[in-house]
Parts: sequence; C-alpha cells; structure tokens
Amino acid sequence: MLIPRKVKHRKQHHPSRSGAAKGGTQVSFGEYGIQALEPAYVTNRQIESARIAINRHIRRGGKVWINIYPDRPLTKKPAETRMGSGKGSPEWWIANVKPGRVLFELSFPNEAIARQALTRAIHKLPMKCRIVTREASEI
Amino acid sequence: MSEVRLPAEPRTEFGKGGARRTRRAGKIPAVIYGHGADPRHVSLPAREFANAIRHGGLNVLLTLDLEGDEQLAIPKAIQRHAIKGIYEHVDLLAVRRGEKVTIEVPLRVVGEVVSGGLLAQENTSVSVEAEATHLPTEIEVSIDGLQIGTQVTAGDLKLPGGSSLAGDPEQVLLIIQEAPTAEQLEAETAGVAEELGIVEEKPAEVASTETENAQ
Repeated sequence: MLIPRKVKHRKQHHPSRSGAAKGGTQVSFGEYGIQALEPAYVTNRQIESARIAINRHIRRGGKVWINIYPDRPLTKKPAETRMGSGKGSPEWWIANVKPGRVLFELSFPNEAIARQALTRAIHKLPMKCRIVTREASEI
Repeated sequence: MSEVRLPAEPRTEFGKGGARRTRRAGKIPAVIYGHGADPRHVSLPAREFANAIRHGGLNVLLTLDLEGDEQLAIPKAIQRHAIKGIYEHVDLLAVRRGEKVTIEVPLRVVGEVVSGGLLAQENTSVSVEAEATHLPTEIEVSIDGLQIGTQVTAGDLKLPGGSSLAGDPEQVLLIIQEAPTAEQLEAETAGVAEELGIVEEKPAEVASTETENAQ
C-alpha cells in the first residue's frame, strides 16, 4: 500500500477541500482514465482496492498508472474519549483530490474491457467519477 | 488543411470580470501575437471556434475578420475547463502565407499490437516544421507487425510532403513491451488483497457444494 517513507509533521491539519484541480486534469500516459467530479479524501486503501479491481479485470495485456499519492495523514481520537488531551493519533493516509483530477490511467487494447475495469475501480472510490479518454481530452 | 473563417471582435474589458462577461455572451477571450507586433486582445465566437477545432484539429488555420482586416492565425495554447470542457481562453499565433511554423502534431496509432505485447506510448505528439497554410492535422504510425522490444522514434515517421521534423529524430515515441502475465499481476496484488480483507468471489458451483457439505 502507498505510504510516505517519512513526513515533516506527523499530525497535520485537514487539507482544504475547496477549488478545482490545477493540473493533472488530462489523460497523459494511458488511453483511458478516471476523472474525479467531486472533491474527496481518497485513502491509500481505496487507491489499492481500485488498482486491484482494475488488474483483476484486465488480467493481462494492460498497464495501470496511479496519478495520486496519499501523502497527508488524518488523525482520529479513540472512541468514547472526552474532548481535549491533544490531537488523536494518525489513522489514515489520504490524497486530497479536487474535481477534474485524473486519478488512474489505463492502457489496454480492448476499449470495452478497459471501460468495465475502470467502472469497477470507480465503485471503490468515495466520490463521483467519470471515465475519460485521451482523444476526448486532447480535442 | 482547410482554412476556417471566424469573426473576431476587439476586446476592451480585461481581467476576471471582463473575461467572465465575454464567456457569458457566448464568446471566448483570446489574444493574438507574433511577428514582433503588440499583442491584440480579441473575442471569438465559442460555438464556431469549438466546431473549427473539432473538425480541423488543434492546429487548424484560422482566418480572422478583425475590424475589416484579415489575420491568419493558428492556436498556440488553449485553456479548457477541466470538467465542463468548455474553451476558456485561446492564445493565437499570427502567421503569414508561405511562412514556416513549428507546431506539435498529434500521433495516431493504427494497427494491432503483436500477441503478448503491450504498447507504451512515450509521446503523443511530435514537433514538426511546416508551411502555415499546409499544416498536417495528424501523423499516422502503424504498429502492425512490430515485434516485442521494438522502438519507434521520431526519425522513423513518414511525414507528409512539405513538412520536416523540428525536434530530435532520436526521440522515442512508441515502445512495444512485453505484457505482464496474469501470474505476475496476481503475485503483485495477493499480499495487499489479504491486508485489505478483499475476498475473491467464488464461482456459484463451488459455493453451492460447500454449503451442501456443511449441511
């Protein structure tokens, strides 16, 4: 699973969820991609689960790119704990995804199977997404 | 390549507010520059410009009617909305007839990858020098019969007449790689799947026999 090797600050503030993606909005490596339509925190487990869903469906003959990285820690306080006594312990690693960002890319010769694989991956993600192609994003 | 004639109006409003008012009026804010002249700020009709790009490609030659003058231009940089896909702003490069310009021409891959191979496209476009009135819309690359391990470089391309390569001829465009096997993909995902608690779906027959045995 994707986890940063080291971080400058172990406990960080929640990253901002407003605004749209500034870059990474087009399919640049593969032929098909998953584009976020809503802002979301995507955990490393969700990223891995989506990647596995794609790989299991295409079986062989394709290549997957992951364009996001879960580099922000989120903390959680234990259940039934009173407020105060400092910030909770790091619980999740998340990628702060803004609308328009292309999360995954796939190169596969058969378009129908590629779309099915990406649809399965979208079901593992916490926000509305759509499938985009390189041709459509260029013109 | 055909020319597309578009009416262009000079723009007097600038900045965020002015640009938004222009877009609300069904126009695209644009700027024309080149040949050492001062840049001119114009607005183009959004619908007609989108049609020109859709049919003529990203390097479509535009003939702009600007206050009674005619100005030839090609799109240099196009800004689009990430989700809606609408054109937000266009940079146009002023050109003259007979002038040579350097543009990025998209590649179109045709043919089937050899069995057991995987196409890795390192670059989606190539830099080409051509006459402004005869710009290629795309360059075809055939991958039929290419064996695993083959590389297609910019120098291997068959360019249309009147155009020449502007970039490095050694630039790698396509590579035919060996596709990862199902076992390799499975081995990669096996450990993580257990950690995430993903259970593989069993076929219906196996599941039914297991329930019978349990009874």
